[in-house]
Amino acid sequence: MLRCSRLLGLVLACLIPACGDGRSSAERAADEGVLVIGNNQEPQNLDPHKATAVADGKIISALLEGLVRPDARDDTVVHPGMAERWEHNADADEWTFHLREAQWSDGRPVRAQDFAYAYRRLLHPAFGGKYAEMLYPLRGAEAYNKGQAPWEAVGVRTPDDRTLVLTLSGPMPQLPYLLMHFTWFPVPEHAVEAHGGMLDRRSAWTRPENWVGNGAYVPEERVFNDYLSVRPNPNYWRAGEVKNRGIRFLPVVNGYTETRMYFGGKLHITNNVPPEMLEMAASREPGSFCRDDYYCTIFYRLNTTRGPLADQRVRRALSLAVDREMLVQRVVRGAGKSAFTFTPPGAGYALDDGGESARSQGERETEARRLLAEAGYPDGRGFPTLELMTSSRDVQRLMAETIQAMWMKALGIHVEIRSCEWSAYKAAQQNMDYDISSSSWSGDYLDPATFVELWCSGNNCTGWGRAAYDAEVDAARASAEPEQRLEHLRRAERMMLREQPVIPLYWSERTYMKSPRVRGWYPLMLDNHPLDAVELLPSGAAADAAPHSREGGSER
Amino acid sequence: MMRLLFRRLLQGAVVIFVLETITFLLVRALPGNPFLGERKLPEHVTEQLQALYGLDQGVFVQYFNYWKGILLHGDFGPSLVREGVQVSELLAQAFPVSLLLGVLGMLIAVGIGIPSGMLAACYRNRWPDALVMCFAMAGICIPAFVIAPLLGMTLGMHVPGLSVAGWDDPLCALLPALTLGLINAAYLARLTRGGMAEVLTQDFIRTARAKGCRPLRVLFVHALRSGLLPAVSYLGPAFAALITGSFVVETCFQVPGMGLHFVNATTDRDYFLIQGLVLCYGVLIVLANLAVDLTLLFLNPRLRSSGAA
Repeated sequence: MLRCSRLLGLVLACLIPACGDGRSSAERAADEGVLVIGNNQEPQNLDPHKATAVADGKIISALLEGLVRPDARDDTVVHPGMAERWEHNADADEWTFHLREAQWSDGRPVRAQDFAYAYRRLLHPAFGGKYAEMLYPLRGAEAYNKGQAPWEAVGVRTPDDRTLVLTLSGPMPQLPYLLMHFTWFPVPEHAVEAHGGMLDRRSAWTRPENWVGNGAYVPEERVFNDYLSVRPNPNYWRAGEVKNRGIRFLPVVNGYTETRMYFGGKLHITNNVPPEMLEMAASREPGSFCRDDYYCTIFYRLNTTRGPLADQRVRRALSLAVDREMLVQRVVRGAGKSAFTFTPPGAGYALDDGGESARSQGERETEARRLLAEAGYPDGRGFPTLELMTSSRDVQRLMAETIQAMWMKALGIHVEIRSCEWSAYKAAQQNMDYDISSSSWSGDYLDPATFVELWCSGNNCTGWGRAAYDAEVDAARASAEPEQRLEHLRRAERMMLREQPVIPLYWSERTYMKSPRVRGWYPLMLDNHPLDAVELLPSGAAADAAPHSREGGSER
Repeated sequence: MMRLLFRRLLQGAVVIFVLETITFLLVRALPGNPFLGERKLPEHVTEQLQALYGLDQGVFVQYFNYWKGILLHGDFGPSLVREGVQVSELLAQAFPVSLLLGVLGMLIAVGIGIPSGMLAACYRNRWPDALVMCFAMAGICIPAFVIAPLLGMTLGMHVPGLSVAGWDDPLCALLPALTLGLINAAYLARLTRGGMAEVLTQDFIRTARAKGCRPLRVLFVHALRSGLLPAVSYLGPAFAALITGSFVVETCFQVPGMGLHFVNATTDRDYFLIQGLVLCYGVLIVLANLAVDLTLLFLNPRLRSSGAA
């Protein structure tokens, strides 16, 4: 009997601390001022020159700061970051940045040379920077990256420790938007050199114990596939304005698990509510459910070098036969907007779809049948079986099945669905080993060029390319006048849409949960929230939860 | 005994060598490479990255270098996706998590499965047998990706202290371990029932009963040792599988164990990580099977006398 009671006591001793004070782990973290956020996937790298994933970018933006920094409410507003002011010449192809007095987290000053070192490292022909193309607007950067020119030919100069002069290959009034991307951030030359040097890809400088950064936070602890926690950087130039006491990024890949974790009190902000859970999530906590515009297009690539897809009329017929409204309502349960053009509206850019959206689906299908008949396949007769390749994600598969049925019903043609795991899917797409491939693209920065430039000849994985298109994009690059530049991009996009190497399906929206205790988080198209502006209300103060709109809330 | 042990270890080394060789060749035959991104990389960047990690060399050179790294330096190589991180670091962080989960899961499986199987065998073809077999069949048929969210939504959300998912609470291992345990308990219950039912009909049991042995003594002292043989054979590989992680359970409960690495490394084509994980799994399987063989020798005197273990 005594032994039994001892055992019971032991079990209770284990249970009582576990149950704690009845607060969930998110509540405990909020009371400590720590934000717990779902970050979709395990970050691959915290080094801005090796990272490419969105999940990595979110963490890097908390750890490092570029010349400018984003606004919490408006994607189109930039604030001075490491640069306290800047000016450019009349053509906007030479920019001079004046750096503020700022320190790295180890107390050493941030110098203009750290920026130059970072750009040189990413572009170095022996480094293998996957995102080096992001710096190609710098004059001579592409040639240097390909080993065809010396570093001295690249448009980066540092007249003194606090002046950085960037010379671009053409006018670029939108440069400040690009500078918010992590590829333009500085790295601490002294820390990188102390841990293997510029070209060492296995460098350990990004480990929490070796980290040196200039952002609002420094890494604290990392457990792979579990979490990465950061704490405020006391040497950050705006350290007094950081609204929380740390962030814990959880790499929750599975949207179902993540949403359950939110309702189980494990997260303050999730990354994604899957379509099947939207209704439940929105009805269970309507005040916490968020649906934001996202700078992202979901589309199908067509391999224009293969069979009937080489015929523009067939490609156009396939596009017209897709009922986008139904797709958005039935497959993604309203988490998107039907798209007849490729680039999502934003940053002053919107493209008229030529009245396509105003027509009924019946009218579009009639025209699709006519085009297919003109191409030699009346009612789909004689049309070969094409293959529609998707990644193995559930929503992609469902979308493919829906479109397969639409094409069969409207055009009488059959496509086979090939579902591949991610690497096989990307390899097939990049080697052009497909007929039709599901794809998505989210903008790296808030500018239509990040979408339109995708379709320049050579590297777009569709086999499509037009000299006239490339010329329009080049003209946009050469234009210093913003409206004229956008008009060149519009002309290019219209040309691409006429020939339809891709079928735009919808512009995606982000659906996620946000705790009522979170303040300072507003809808942003690029989802690049400055996390130092996010505050956690104390317990009991969340009754008047922060409204989720750009206008809402009182703080700025 | 020592000869047997030595022979088994030697066989195990050959198995692991063959396993690693096949894995090495298969992962390189898969479409894609570790450096694929959303955007197609320029040719020169892919070449630079391949050269950096020696992937531009011939397959035999890569194979030789891989074994050289392991045998001479104990180096499993770098992760090709998480550059700057060694495979050994990833394994060292994930293995204890999966080990804890696996041990708990196995305790639950043994604790539920074996008594249930014994109960079913004792009441063969009566309602307790039907009830146990009904639950066992359900445990076998219902996949982990149904049981795991169900437990998370019911117990995890409503029982204080239990965790819906994540690895941040003292009791967070309970539900994933319960999921693993229930599934294995179902198999164990069926195997134990089968083994016990056969033993309970044998002459030596009838003799023991005729001599006036009490039923519990017959069950635990005379029948159990032989009746457990099928279950013990199952336990070895099952235990190795449990402690190397389950992707489904780890994904549903957000557990940072080996299972997540297994699948992510394969989809990301993280060659060295895949090979490291397979090596780890192979060693555990060999050791678990060795442990099973030794246990069977202990439980079954006929094996000892014939030396046929």
